[in-house]
Amino acid sequence: MIKLRQIDEYRWEIPREGKMRTRGLVFASQAMLAKIQEDQSLQQVANVATLPGIEGPSLAMPDIHWGYGFPIGGVAAFNLEEGVVSPGGVGYDINCGVRLLRTNLPREEVAPRVEDLVSAFFSNIPSGVGSRRKDLKLNMLTLKEVMRYGAGWAVKNGYGSQADLEHIEAGGQIPGADPEMVSQFAMDRGKDQLGTLGSGNHFVEVGYVLEVYDEKLAAALGLFKGQTTVIVHTGSRGLGHQVCDDYIKVMLKAAAKYGIELPDRQLCCAPLGSPEGRQYLAAMAAAANFAFANRQMITHWVRESFEQVFRMGPAKLGLELVYDVAHNIAKIEEHEVNGKRKKVCVHRKGATRAFPPRHPETPAAYQETGQPVLIPGDMGRYSFVLVGTQEALTETFGSTCHGAGREMSRHAALKAAKGRSIVRELAAKGIIVRGAGRATIDEEISEAYKDVEQVVDVTHGAGISKKVAKLKPLGVIKG
Amino acid sequence: MARGRPYRQLSHTADLAWRIRGASLPELFENAGGALTATLTDRRYLRRTQVRDLYVKAPDREALLVDWLNRLLYLFDVEGFLGREFQVLALTPQSLKARVRGEIFDPARHPEKTGVKAATYHHLEIKRTHRGWQATVILDL
Repeated sequence: MIKLRQIDEYRWEIPREGKMRTRGLVFASQAMLAKIQEDQSLQQVANVATLPGIEGPSLAMPDIHWGYGFPIGGVAAFNLEEGVVSPGGVGYDINCGVRLLRTNLPREEVAPRVEDLVSAFFSNIPSGVGSRRKDLKLNMLTLKEVMRYGAGWAVKNGYGSQADLEHIEAGGQIPGADPEMVSQFAMDRGKDQLGTLGSGNHFVEVGYVLEVYDEKLAAALGLFKGQTTVIVHTGSRGLGHQVCDDYIKVMLKAAAKYGIELPDRQLCCAPLGSPEGRQYLAAMAAAANFAFANRQMITHWVRESFEQVFRMGPAKLGLELVYDVAHNIAKIEEHEVNGKRKKVCVHRKGATRAFPPRHPETPAAYQETGQPVLIPGDMGRYSFVLVGTQEALTETFGSTCHGAGREMSRHAALKAAKGRSIVRELAAKGIIVRGAGRATIDEEISEAYKDVEQVVDVTHGAGISKKVAKLKPLGVIKG
Repeated sequence: MARGRPYRQLSHTADLAWRIRGASLPELFENAGGALTATLTDRRYLRRTQVRDLYVKAPDREALLVDWLNRLLYLFDVEGFLGREFQVLALTPQSLKARVRGEIFDPARHPEKTGVKAATYHHLEIKRTHRGWQATVILDL
């Protein structure tokens, strides 16, 4: 069992030992720790600490669980001189992320029409196993544009507005994307998938603001109690998965070539300055941009669905983007490390950026509040809106948690759902759910997930993000 | 568990782990293909109306298994093709030639189960058992 030393109510240290180059720092409550210790995720935090060029501690957010090499909920920063980049530190779904839209509509106006709205989402946004768009097949040239310009490509082609771009992490375009570093296999997989939700835990959800924790912050984010909201959760689809798979193979060779000692093959990586490292970053950025464009286009169809159902124009609906955050990504950022400002490559795998007020990368609209952080929960409970803080910037390279995390395997969830109608149970709770298949809905039952409120309360209590509002679902389409 | 069942799920919280068996290595790879299809849909509804011939190369046997499954996922993403029957034509530790019979996935006729992002190297293992071969592979969902 891995050694843990309690620092305070929310912080636990994995002391530096053996080949670790730094300590591990885990954010969790005492109550959550027992569950965390059931799998090998803490060992993975220690393993990440052995990688060359790591700066600061190897970090874990309270929603940490066992991942491939790097734990999910892990954050690690590496300097550009000796440090490494690892596809396993990002994950298969490159730039999987969440966006939140607000509306002008109070819950009472939307609640009676949720069924129609969910049906409209369902017919306008392809979702489920093997979902593809029949109306939008990209040729390779266009696909490369998407990968270069991200959400900007979508806006230029009529899917949304310039204002949307100002409310997306990195403006919806990660710099340095090079589609030439993306394999033909990856492009083939992505070409019919732009504007599709996919499967698993991805969803589009209409809900409302159930509770406001900080009136001033909520108002600055354009949120008020009882307001209808929409959350979109998806990523880079098959294109991103293939980029990850392609570069794991490259990195397995690269790690040996550069003599990087790996405690686990899945931590395979290459120096940031090496050709392999640079190529991965360029391909990852391309896939990340595809994901930004994907969420942007889905947003367009969400807006169209509202217009169809409520027969209202965009101005009256007020479906504006609050923010869009990535929670699987590696980014070159400037941070203060041991009193010195330096560029590092921050890996966030199942972790969300949480930049404070007045940070240059916090968008103009949120200079006073801090960057909005969106934490989706399971379909039967609630989601949270938070903002980034100075503590996050100094302590976690500006990062916080990303979601609830599973507590039950899919198999166990299916067993638990057997003989029940999850759709009817949720309807009784006032939540309309539509999924392409019964299995995805059953697998995603509430009790299969940890309570996201516990996760969020740790990050709020530790000061690495600040609670603004709690959202409750009314209708969900699951992939 | 029934004796000789070609694949079964292991308990894994976040994703899906398959334990796959085969009397021989080619059969192990064939059954792995079956396990992947069974993750995405109910195999019994698939007809064998189309054929795909695949050739996969990898540095070692374990990586070959991952690449084989990811190639099948690629076929599914790109064409919607899902295999019902898998036949290994040639197998070396570094290459695999296979023929897959199946059809294009049609949500109207084929029940949707779970989407798969990728087959991973996490806890990947192929080993000999007293009855033949056994593999463990975790799918990222």
